[in-house]
Amino acid sequence: MNREELARRILELVTEIAPDVDAATVIPGIDFRDQFDFDSMDTLNFAIALHRELGVDVPEADYAKLASLDKCVGYLSPRLN
Amino acid sequence: MRDAIAAAMSRSKREIPHYYLSTTVDVTATTEWLTAHNAAVPVTQRLLFAALLVKSIALACRELPGFSGFHREGRYEDSPAVHVGVAVALRGGGLVAPAIMDTADKPLTTLMDDFRALVTRARAGRLRASELAAPTIILTSLGEASVDAVFPIIQPPQVAIVGAGAIAERPWVVDGKVVPRQLLTLSLGADHRVTDGRLGAQFLARIAARLLEPASL
Repeated sequence: MNREELARRILELVTEIAPDVDAATVIPGIDFRDQFDFDSMDTLNFAIALHRELGVDVPEADYAKLASLDKCVGYLSPRLN
Repeated sequence: MRDAIAAAMSRSKREIPHYYLSTTVDVTATTEWLTAHNAAVPVTQRLLFAALLVKSIALACRELPGFSGFHREGRYEDSPAVHVGVAVALRGGGLVAPAIMDTADKPLTTLMDDFRALVTRARAGRLRASELAAPTIILTSLGEASVDAVFPIIQPPQVAIVGAGAIAERPWVVDGKVVPRQLLTLSLGADHRVTDGRLGAQFLARIAARLLEPASL
């Protein structure tokens, strides 16, 4: 999976967790929390989705590294290849 | 949505003689327990602090009558089952508070699964009417909004609502020394037609005591 594909897949997961978020409006460099009030429940659901869909286990201590789309791609790419 | 909230809150402020209490709790040990728990279990079994709070409230309701039930046609009745409602903010604006059914009887992992499913369905607009009518008491947690405390308004025909602010590291006195601790301010809005401040204070103290024994939840 290249970085564009990964970003697309992450956006799919985010909108699956937060069906009230429009994927087209997500700005990659801005934290999910600041863009659409992503809260601790959303973050937990996101971590569960990453485990289920991509097989990546994200420890709680690393949640801050998943704060935006750009950060997610940076954190997840080396863990998937 | 805004009209429905306005109607319920106007009725509450018109009909219910609210009293308010708050208490600040040192939850350092509980947050440490939670961090260790979440590091030791699979991601699907991780817990949020709010789940511990919901369970603590449910158990306190079992111990002290007067906070979990309904005031209808001039009289109050405790509900035999405790269904703690959780206030969920919707991203488009507005708020719903569906119930986690039979909250006091559920192990934490089951409670957390129900809680997660409930929030997801609330935000997808797929709640059942019965889930919105069921709460016997509500928790409104504004921790993520970084406020210190909440002064919550009761949702009739309920008679009590618990508020939680943000958990934050602050100075606290332990054994005569000022030390940094993780503090949480819990608040209670309750109905003077049913209880008084002294009982309300006991209720908050019971919640806090449960919260400080997370392994027994």
